[in-house]
Amino acid sequence: MALADIPRRRTRFDRRFDRIRELEEAGRLKHPTGSRLLRKFMSNRLAVVGLVVFSIILLAAICAPLLTPWDPTKINLRAMLQPPSWEHWFGTDKTGRDVFARVLYGGRISILVGLGSAVVSAIIGVIVGCYAGYVGGWFDAICMRVSEIIMAFPELILVLMLVSILGQSLSNIMIIFIVGGWCGIYRLARASMLSLREEEYVQALRSFGLSVPLICFKHILPNALGPIMVNITLSTAAFILAEAGLSFLGLGVPMNIATWGNILNVAQDLGVLQNNWWIWLPVGTTISLFVLSVNFIGDGLRDATDPTQQG
Amino acid sequence: MLAYVIRRVLIMIPMAVAISFLIYLGLDATPGDAVSFMLSPEQMSGANPERLAELRQALGLDQPLFVRYFIWLWGLLQGNFGYTLTGGVPISDLLARRLPATLELAAVALVLSTVFGSILGIISALRRGSATDNTLTVVGMVGVSIPEFFFGLVAITVFALNLGWLPVGGRSMPQYITFWDRLPHLVMPSLVLSIMMTAGVMRYARAAMLDALNKDFIKTARSKGLPEWRVNLLHGFRVALTPVVVLIGFRLPALIGGSVIVEQVFQWPGVGSLFVLSVRNQDYPVVMAVALISVVTVLVVSVVIDVLTAIIDPRVRLGN
Repeated sequence: MALADIPRRRTRFDRRFDRIRELEEAGRLKHPTGSRLLRKFMSNRLAVVGLVVFSIILLAAICAPLLTPWDPTKINLRAMLQPPSWEHWFGTDKTGRDVFARVLYGGRISILVGLGSAVVSAIIGVIVGCYAGYVGGWFDAICMRVSEIIMAFPELILVLMLVSILGQSLSNIMIIFIVGGWCGIYRLARASMLSLREEEYVQALRSFGLSVPLICFKHILPNALGPIMVNITLSTAAFILAEAGLSFLGLGVPMNIATWGNILNVAQDLGVLQNNWWIWLPVGTTISLFVLSVNFIGDGLRDATDPTQQG
Repeated sequence: MLAYVIRRVLIMIPMAVAISFLIYLGLDATPGDAVSFMLSPEQMSGANPERLAELRQALGLDQPLFVRYFIWLWGLLQGNFGYTLTGGVPISDLLARRLPATLELAAVALVLSTVFGSILGIISALRRGSATDNTLTVVGMVGVSIPEFFFGLVAITVFALNLGWLPVGGRSMPQYITFWDRLPHLVMPSLVLSIMMTAGVMRYARAAMLDALNKDFIKTARSKGLPEWRVNLLHGFRVALTPVVVLIGFRLPALIGGSVIVEQVFQWPGVGSLFVLSVRNQDYPVVMAVALISVVTVLVVSVVIDVLTAIIDPRVRLGN
């Protein structure tokens, strides 16, 4: 008796298969075209939603001057603590600054800090990790010890310690994030180098006499790109959360620059918390939505690039 | 087994020494030295420079860097962390007063997140691909994405300010001493602190459980005719438990970082809020002391977890 004849309950997979078979018989089955990675990513509903939300918030921050006539730093003592109105969409804060404008302009800085630190630390981590992983030796040993020391610190403790030594400024915050952030990607790049450098195609390249950087960055790196991209998105999310947390404590980006965390800083005051919800609730929601969308994108990328992570 | 433990400890010690040296370098590069921690500003300005030099010499501050480092380290090992820049209080006293509060908060959050995370993760794994599983995955993502302090702010607004069920913050009022009196103060901070970690544990427990359920011994257990709950819980979960326990070690840094922020939101009088206060006041000795303690804690816990894993799973200690 053939396997198909054994009586069993039909599942949703049977129904899906029947549909595909029908389409095939009718000759209407579309053959997939385009990049497989892109197709897998686009079929992940949450990842697409994440990408849309991410793009909307990013575009709104970039086009801030087009969306609001208000200056995020202009103090207007005649319009203090006004609730949301047609004129001020998210109301005004304690010194009469428009909260909607501050959220948009603050998004520029917060996204810059998050994305910028993640990209720069990824570049450093990938370059150091590829080279150290392929060549090995004393350079690799030193990098490994340094990353072990950095990773032994709880992230926030390391960041706050460096803030107390270096002082608060926008560039210092980014430098501190990069110092703490390159190790993760370094480890990742190094590990995939160690496994890939034993592959036969790499031995072939070596026997052709190709130079080390060429083998590393042109021929091995593209094969390790999937996890690295996932790591960049996830560390972007982590850095944005870290910036918000730091600025909330009043120890991040200086208070005269609007960032998402700095806007939330005033919510430490219980009076503001109870009476002026429009100052902190929209910003907090924006941060959460943005980080959530980045996390969804990262998850979608992981599913699309890594065949072992299914299910 | 003993050889494995000794090897792990021997690997840890040079790391701890290197980190403490770096922290000492930081302390050395920042303004102020041990003498200025000990004397009040008035005494400093009135003091005779020769007496100050003598005092520095007596404390070994004129020695080269390495010697000074070992003097400092020797003091640390005897529990002498030096004095704060603001107020000149011994740092060890300050820590002794603040540490119990932080440990209480962290322990409760750790237990809550482990229990809830494992339960949700198992449910998710057993109903893999169902609506429950998908919902839990998305909820977990949301939990990781919302900043802890924002959670805290919303919780304070709803439960403390509007409903008035729980106190806004702080730890205890003078006449309330027992744990049960303090419990209302503990509810919100510990729940907020555990939310982010619960999401992490849930993802991990789900993966570990799925991994365990795919093993051959599960098929054997099922074919023996054991009831499904026995297969899942006694055979599957027992194996999935090991990675979940190991995860406690990985969660510790997040727990320490999270407690810094949560303590600040809820005005919890622990080490975290002390740390924030010291960073604000640029009170370097306290900052460095707290950083050192947190790193050493992470290192020691990671060794303990490694040893525990080796006890549970012989493959680990023999493989290395």
